[in-house]
Amino acid sequence: MAKIISPRVGTPGDEFDEDAAAAAGINVQALIDGGFISTSKTAKPAKTKDTSTEE
Amino acid sequence: MATSTVLSNPVVTVNSVDISDQVTSAIFHQNVTELRATAFGDVSEKYVAGLGEYSVELECYQSFAATETWATLKALVGTTTTVTVKPASGAASATNPVLTLTGAFLAELPTNFSLGALTTASVVFHGGTYSEVTSA
Repeated sequence: MAKIISPRVGTPGDEFDEDAAAAAGINVQALIDGGFISTSKTAKPAKTKDTSTEE
Repeated sequence: MATSTVLSNPVVTVNSVDISDQVTSAIFHQNVTELRATAFGDVSEKYVAGLGEYSVELECYQSFAATETWATLKALVGTTTTVTVKPASGAASATNPVLTLTGAFLAELPTNFSLGALTTASVVFHGGTYSEVTSA
């Protein structure tokens, strides 16, 4: 689910239903490219292997 | 006599983006191709309805600021989108219908730079499916 950034699309911070928008003929990629909505997700921290050889 | 007065305050969205404050003119064309159906024995021309053909013409100020006209339109050139025009800002109703064109194609984005004048863009969205929403 995307988030609204621009008040021209809705209330900033609200969720934007990309699937419903696409079904209504909205070009979702154009909204992302124009900076109106964001699909950025919080990245999971990378798993690191403990390679320490100290004892 | 019941009349409907619209004081040039429509709401225009392009690709779900409300650009009403940048638009100075919106013309929603609804046409149906007329097919000649006159035959022997007729004494006058007759026509039947062919394909529907719809388009929306928008005159806009061309703002290059973030999330303004340029940002709204530039990524739509060569693609289809949805355009809506509503007479006033209230909820959709029988007296405030949302004229909607879904799947309308934007072929070009002409931007007019003129000395001493605000930069403008005249765009035409062609084709698509027309519908009229009369409830929120």
